Amino acid sequence: MTSMTAGLPDVNRPRSPFTLNLKRREAIAAYLFLLPFLAFFAVFTIRAVINAVQISFYEYQILRPTRPFIGFDNYLELFNDDIWWQALGNTVIFTVLTVIGTSIVALLCAVAVTQPIRGQGFFRVLLYMPSLFSVGAVGLIWVWLLNTQYGVINYFLSFIGIRPISWLSDPNLVIPSLSLTTIWWTFGFPMLIFIAGLQGIPEQLYEAARIDGASGRQIFFRITLPLLRPTILFVTVTGVIAHFQVYGQPLIMTNGGPGRSSYSVIFYLYQIAWTAFRMGYGAAIAVVLALIIATATAVQFFFIGRRVEY
Amino acid sequence: MNKRMSLIVSITVLLLAALVVSVPMVGAQDPAPEPTPIVAEMGSGSIKVSFWSGLTGSDGTTLNEMLAQFSAEHPEYAITHEIIPWGTMYTKTQAAFVAGNPPDLMLMHASEIPQFAGYGVLEDLSSWYSNNGGWFPIDDISGPTLDGLTYNGAIYGIPLDNHGRGLWINKEMFEAAGIDTDPATAPTTYEGWVELFQKLTIDANGNNALSPDFDPENIVVYGYGTGEWPRVNFQGVLAQHGGSILSEDGKTVTVNSPEGILALQQTYDLIYKYHVATPPAGFDTWQMFPGQTLAVIPTGTWFVNHANTSVEFDTMAWPQVQWGPEKGTWFGQHVFMLPVGSAGEKREAVETILRWISDHQVDWAASGQVPARLSAQAALDPVNYPSNILLGQTFSEYGVQDPKSPVVQEMYAILEPELDAALNNLKTPEQALNDAAERMQQAVDRAF
Repeated sequence: MTSMTAGLPDVNRPRSPFTLNLKRREAIAAYLFLLPFLAFFAVFTIRAVINAVQISFYEYQILRPTRPFIGFDNYLELFNDDIWWQALGNTVIFTVLTVIGTSIVALLCAVAVTQPIRGQGFFRVLLYMPSLFSVGAVGLIWVWLLNTQYGVINYFLSFIGIRPISWLSDPNLVIPSLSLTTIWWTFGFPMLIFIAGLQGIPEQLYEAARIDGASGRQIFFRITLPLLRPTILFVTVTGVIAHFQVYGQPLIMTNGGPGRSSYSVIFYLYQIAWTAFRMGYGAAIAVVLALIIATATAVQFFFIGRRVEY
Repeated sequence: MNKRMSLIVSITVLLLAALVVSVPMVGAQDPAPEPTPIVAEMGSGSIKVSFWSGLTGSDGTTLNEMLAQFSAEHPEYAITHEIIPWGTMYTKTQAAFVAGNPPDLMLMHASEIPQFAGYGVLEDLSSWYSNNGGWFPIDDISGPTLDGLTYNGAIYGIPLDNHGRGLWINKEMFEAAGIDTDPATAPTTYEGWVELFQKLTIDANGNNALSPDFDPENIVVYGYGTGEWPRVNFQGVLAQHGGSILSEDGKTVTVNSPEGILALQQTYDLIYKYHVATPPAGFDTWQMFPGQTLAVIPTGTWFVNHANTSVEFDTMAWPQVQWGPEKGTWFGQHVFMLPVGSAGEKREAVETILRWISDHQVDWAASGQVPARLSAQAALDPVNYPSNILLGQTFSEYGVQDPKSPVVQEMYAILEPELDAALNNLKTPEQALNDAAERMQQAVDRAF
């Protein structure tokens, strides 16, 4: 008898006040696992964000000994700064074009490479490859592809009688050209997300639709697309956050030109903070940009997220 | 679905094919010059000296060779030369000063002196100059050079070189157009330069820009290019008209003066009125000149090594264009500077290095730049260093430098896109300079 009960908890023994139930123990374990990340996040991100907000209320130059408190002056200056508005406009157009373009290209490629075809893995790797390049490499390659005089794209267009197009030197074309470059560079990651999303759609739904005589187009728009809404939400939200912070492409490909036609918000921020060394004003730009991104994300959740069926 | 997939695969293959085609073109820009190491260590002595510069081109290799020679002669020192692109270096230098960990020695541009000296982070090196009993002969540098090193009466650096603007010409195109290649015959008026560029600008039918049959829509060779650093070209022409970026007291922006507007309008007219020059956007003059689609490239002393390695025709340097009544050309200086508080054996080591480099400035001419010391300039071999000698003389005689202002970089960050907008026909020259002046004045006002 004794041997049968050995090792089992004595249910009649009074519970220790320090005994934790399973749910609490799991919660504590989870927090312990998160602790290292949270510590670094608090030190290197949260503290930096708080500092940035604080700095934005000062006339703050790194090496200048006096840093006077100026309240909301940096923000007032920002709202009257025509270069800021131009940079913001450019950034919004770039983000809209790039997020839409990336999502569509990624989705189409994901659909294509989930078909049962020979060389499926090869095509997945091939399509994902541009994502592995650095912005420097991508920028240099596309500057050459889009070069007005010697560019490969203009060269091929000349065969069908199209005169050289000033892709990067026409103020009306420069943002779409940067967007095209970025779509080519970045669609690989969302394609992987879409592939995962597509693989999560039950096959029997497709079988049932086919039995009912649905066409490929009907299946795509009535089954695939609605069931991909959570994935689309993720892709567009992360895309907006990423592309609002575009910097490397205008820096390398156009240096913000012609004129200021391809200034982005971060490009302008960098100039203010690290060329003019006006950290306070630069911080104000960063804070307002963060608020704009947060608002854009909230809007996306409102319009796309509320219709998501998990 | 198969059709769609075929389309996608086709597009992918096309894009990748374009990528494959473009990669060799990127590589073909330069005939693979020897890369300049990011960090070079010279010597293994016990006294270690950290040194930062922005010499990312072949000039970095030249300086490393000089430092290696110094180390061989002075085994007690070990020098770590870290090469950082200029823009990043100034950013990093600020951060290093804040952290209290600057390098022992920095090579920066003279235009940075007002900003960094204004912050009180540079060492006053006046005592190293001969007029204060020091070792550097103050009368061995030109007046403009000394002026660029001086801020509020103190001298903040030891100059390495003068580097600035000039032209490189395609001699074969000049001869074909019947133009004398002797720099002494260069025009001295705007009209004269326009005519010269008109003779050199050729359309697809072989007509030059003086011909009544000239087709400005089909130009195959341009006389002049505006793409490389339009701001310093503008500064040279501005000085030729008697204008300036700032008033003498440094408190009023004068870039939009009638002289400024005229200077910019002249460049604008070359592009859009006379059709003899490229706009900045979409035309890479460093590719066009070796490709023989550009007859005259406005560039700088630093072009000489590119000319020697990438140009397969007969070329030579010419002085800067003269479009105003006076002569004028922009130049800058590479200057050695020390962080404030430099002391002890490190300071002695840095002083020894700088004395040695100053005594060997002739070797620095191999970088293409003009040695700062007049005695070194005079010692240059005219066969090997014709451009250094020719352009160096123009800097000493009538060179203009950047205005002395603690916000000069901020002003330039405002001015350059406006010049770019004007030369790309997005604004009139007057509108661009007025817009620039308004914002530049705000920057100046904040500094005072």
